Amino acid sequence: MRTNAVQQTLFHAIMVALSAACLFPFILLFVVSFSDEQSIIINGYALIPDSFSLEAYRYLWSQLTPLARAYGITVLITAVGTVTGLLISSLLAYSLSRDEMPLRRVLSFLVVFTLLFNGGLVPTYLVYTEVFHLKNTLLALIVPGLLTNAFFILIIRTFFKMSIPGAVIESAYIDGASEWTIFSRIILPLSLPILATIGMMLTIAYWNDWFNGLIYITDPKLYSIQNLLNRMLSNIQFLMQNDLGGRSSESLARMPMNAVRMAMAVIGILPIICIYPFFQKYLVKGLVIGAVKG
Amino acid sequence: MNQSRWRKFWKRVVRHRILILMALPGLAYLVINNYLPMLGVTIAFKEIDYSRKGLLNLLFGHEWIGFKNFEYLFRTDDAYTITRNTILYNGLFIVLNTIVAIAVAIVLNEIRNRIMSRLYQSLILLPYLISMVIVGYLALSMLNVENGFMNKTILPLLGIDPVSWYSEPAYWPYILTFVNLWKNVGYLCIIYLAAIVGINHEYYEAAVIDGASKWQQITRITVPLISPTITIMVLLAIGRIFYSDFGLFYQVPLNSGALKSTTDVIDTYVYRGLMTLGDIGMSSAAGLYQSAVGFVLILLSNWLVRRRSRDQALF
Amino acid sequence: MASNKRKRWALALSLLLIAGLLAACGGGSDSGSGNSKGSSGGGQSSESGEKPVELIFAMPNPGTPMNDLNLVQDEINKIALQKINATVKFTLIDWAAWNQQINLMLAGNEQLDLLVTSAYMNYSSMVAKGQLVPLDDLLQQYGQGIMEAMDPVFYEGTRINGKIYGVSSFRELVADYGFNARKDLLDKHQIDLSQVKSFEDLEPIFQLIKEKEPGIIPLVQRNTSNTVVNDMIASRVDNLGDGMGVLMLDDNNTTVVNLYETPQYQAAVELARKWYNAGYIASDAATSQEGYVALMKAGKGFGYFSNMKPGFEAQETGLIGTEIKGVRLTPAVGGSSGPVAFMISIPSNAKYPEKAMQFMNLLYTDRDIMNLLTLGIEGKHYVKTDNGQARVPDGVESSGYVFNQWLIGNNSLTYVWEGWDPNQWENLKEFNRNAVYSPALGFLFDANNVKTEVAAVSNVISEYKAGLESGAVDPKVLPKFIEDLKKAGIDTIIAEKQRQLDEFLAANQ
Repeated sequence: MRTNAVQQTLFHAIMVALSAACLFPFILLFVVSFSDEQSIIINGYALIPDSFSLEAYRYLWSQLTPLARAYGITVLITAVGTVTGLLISSLLAYSLSRDEMPLRRVLSFLVVFTLLFNGGLVPTYLVYTEVFHLKNTLLALIVPGLLTNAFFILIIRTFFKMSIPGAVIESAYIDGASEWTIFSRIILPLSLPILATIGMMLTIAYWNDWFNGLIYITDPKLYSIQNLLNRMLSNIQFLMQNDLGGRSSESLARMPMNAVRMAMAVIGILPIICIYPFFQKYLVKGLVIGAVKG
Repeated sequence: MNQSRWRKFWKRVVRHRILILMALPGLAYLVINNYLPMLGVTIAFKEIDYSRKGLLNLLFGHEWIGFKNFEYLFRTDDAYTITRNTILYNGLFIVLNTIVAIAVAIVLNEIRNRIMSRLYQSLILLPYLISMVIVGYLALSMLNVENGFMNKTILPLLGIDPVSWYSEPAYWPYILTFVNLWKNVGYLCIIYLAAIVGINHEYYEAAVIDGASKWQQITRITVPLISPTITIMVLLAIGRIFYSDFGLFYQVPLNSGALKSTTDVIDTYVYRGLMTLGDIGMSSAAGLYQSAVGFVLILLSNWLVRRRSRDQALF
Repeated sequence: MASNKRKRWALALSLLLIAGLLAACGGGSDSGSGNSKGSSGGGQSSESGEKPVELIFAMPNPGTPMNDLNLVQDEINKIALQKINATVKFTLIDWAAWNQQINLMLAGNEQLDLLVTSAYMNYSSMVAKGQLVPLDDLLQQYGQGIMEAMDPVFYEGTRINGKIYGVSSFRELVADYGFNARKDLLDKHQIDLSQVKSFEDLEPIFQLIKEKEPGIIPLVQRNTSNTVVNDMIASRVDNLGDGMGVLMLDDNNTTVVNLYETPQYQAAVELARKWYNAGYIASDAATSQEGYVALMKAGKGFGYFSNMKPGFEAQETGLIGTEIKGVRLTPAVGGSSGPVAFMISIPSNAKYPEKAMQFMNLLYTDRDIMNLLTLGIEGKHYVKTDNGQARVPDGVESSGYVFNQWLIGNNSLTYVWEGWDPNQWENLKEFNRNAVYSPALGFLFDANNVKTEVAAVSNVISEYKAGLESGAVDPKVLPKFIEDLKKAGIDTIIAEKQRQLDEFLAANQ
């Protein structure tokens, strides 16, 4: 492709505008977490607050043990969940991408069908808690999320079919390679972009998940960061809107103030932002490989 | 004849046993996570009596009350409003988000400077990572009637009087669409970018040799070659057309009653109505209703897609 | 060879998954309890020689620091083990997650022996769905202590369809409403609150503050559910549980009416609107995300309405950090929702209902357990003052255990926290005794037959309430509000409520 200075400038301009729009609220978030609580209440959120304060972070530091534990839990379930989920998804997607797979159409339909119909919260909860006894265990945070989005499978399958020439697989067969070999030596390396993509999405999904924590975990030792943050924020909202005969004010008075809520949001996001560039490397790597092979 | 077909089938299974083995974990998961609970969809038609406990009872016990749990979704005037809102918003979101996400993905792909490209990608993903509750607070900081950014800074600059944002329903379709776009474009963009990256460069090289312009390259090569991805994404979005992002419609308007006519959707209606009742049957009924509509729509759309290009259909 | 390695790797992973599931299956072999963390209290022996029983008690997370809950729990269990050969495990559940988690827990087979219940958390629906166990017999057998220690209203006032399903906690069951303001500003402008006899009398005071103190909101709305209008008319209304069909106590009858159609409501809404337009109420009151405490603490507000009780000013002063003075503008009134605001019940999932009742009995009779539960461990979380009250121990910055004294049990057994009147509990008992009670005391509405209408009406109310009741919206929409309510079926609900109320009154003559 030939470079064209005008076009490049245009593209850069568009992206700068977009990035600014996305970055601005985040900067606001960040600044508010360092603002003095009183000035927030009097003046609202401001990019340049009347006075700064580390109070929010000091409060969080005083909660170090539960926070550190929550972080640990989040990291653990994200890492395990992403790797396992990716593996299961790509294996299934691969088998569905091969025309020789028995029952291929039926199985594909069954996979897609799960996207459309859901048994609902209560039956799912009962299956996991009564049949498999996962309540208040780490598995409860990992298993439900492995494949919530069957559409990942579809995307991977499409990628396999579209981007990996059938000829390559044919010749591998002729050379006597087994399915495992084909999968690990041909498919996987060629699919780095899509794997990095889906891996990224799984990571984000696990990192941000608070719902599974909400319904399956009552032991505070197993809270993930987002679970903790979400509970705190929902509690504040709940107490604001349901007075409980005048009692809410007592509890509300002690709950984290604006600055702290923002600070919690900041520490909830930071790690993911740091990890993202790592994934991006693989996206680029895939591009390079694709160019060479192509 | 049947016997021989059966034997043929088994031979195929044995020959490709490894493929089947590969598929097993995923399928097992789907059975556990999706199909087993599906049996419980009958709750929508029952009156749940809590003195009878457990999963078995849930599936096979309790009193059948037909469609009574569905009534609250259809009987009132609200039913029309919420259905209309849900469909219109989702329709708009699908179209707008898809176009913008693809456009951004293409732009990102074109940028030569890899470092900047990656930086942009990270930045536009940021909104996706922020929870909707926080987004609600951020929106408040913009739209607060007293010291919101809009009323305090921007509107005076333009010489317009302050607006009581949270009391005027008319603005909210725009606000919510914008917030939804802002939040999701980075995420959707990743998918389309991955698809674009997979396109074989030879196509472009050939096109350049033939003297094609950038625009022609985009419309004749890029878009058509990622159309399988686009198709899947749109089809799936259509299947979820009756579901809404609860956080978006509940948290961002700060649950303000005055905005109901333009911000109430099926999910928020169900949630509000059931806070006082806690009725599992009724909320299951709502869920079933949403799934059913989505299912029909997907079947329809999939059939339409199949007529044009067999390969790209979901099934 | 590499391919073998991959093959084994993938196989192993699949097996791992299956194994993990099997382990989870096999591990929780006790199908009765879903709690894999708690051990069943088997380790400790006791005098009677029987194996002690572990009770699971779910309560809302008060939101205050509760890091030392396990320590407190252990101390309580020492006593409980001795007295009733049982131990208790407290499970805290966040307010916001309450409905979800409790409903799910009760739908399954999880062990749950004791549960905090409340009209704010769907008490009557829970009874209608069969989630709670009737307590009449259990009270007779194991709850004699409760019946002796408490006024009958605390356990009779919770009857639904003639059966008792919960025992109320000791607290004030009634409320008088009034206005509270910052003492420093009152003094500065020489405002004498004792001259104020009604809500309307406050107008000149608001005007004064508006002129002399720009930047300070004269009347802060407590929050979006305790609105200005709500606080002004609450003492004249028994909202019969959900506010959809109420009794007007002024008229002293037992006719259920639509609150939003009454002249009292209209007058209140118009007054609020007048004040809003005059700038006495904050312009964002209808959507503000700040509670009144935060606003007052920041010095942004002058005063607010509230339901009060003996010792209220002391409580508020503590919360807000500057002295608060109040004036009571209505007599103390008890609606039918008093007793059912906070109770303890035994759910249908209870594995040991008899032991549960025995423990409940302790919560109403045992001084030590109650002090542990509400104040913490003596010496660590509180120390006694000379006159028998409790205060924070010296040198302790942030306590590891802060509960409250109104949620559970017989709080009159506990030490009064410093800063409150030492006779606080006696005062509350007097307060309860001398109030005027609604004729519907003890009546609880079962909404099962009209649940469709309830869902629809809830939605209508949520559309108008915040705006109208904070004065932010012009009362001219009131007729439309009423019309929408009717379309949603409020008259059906009222008719049903009237029918049930009449039955109740007839049965309890």
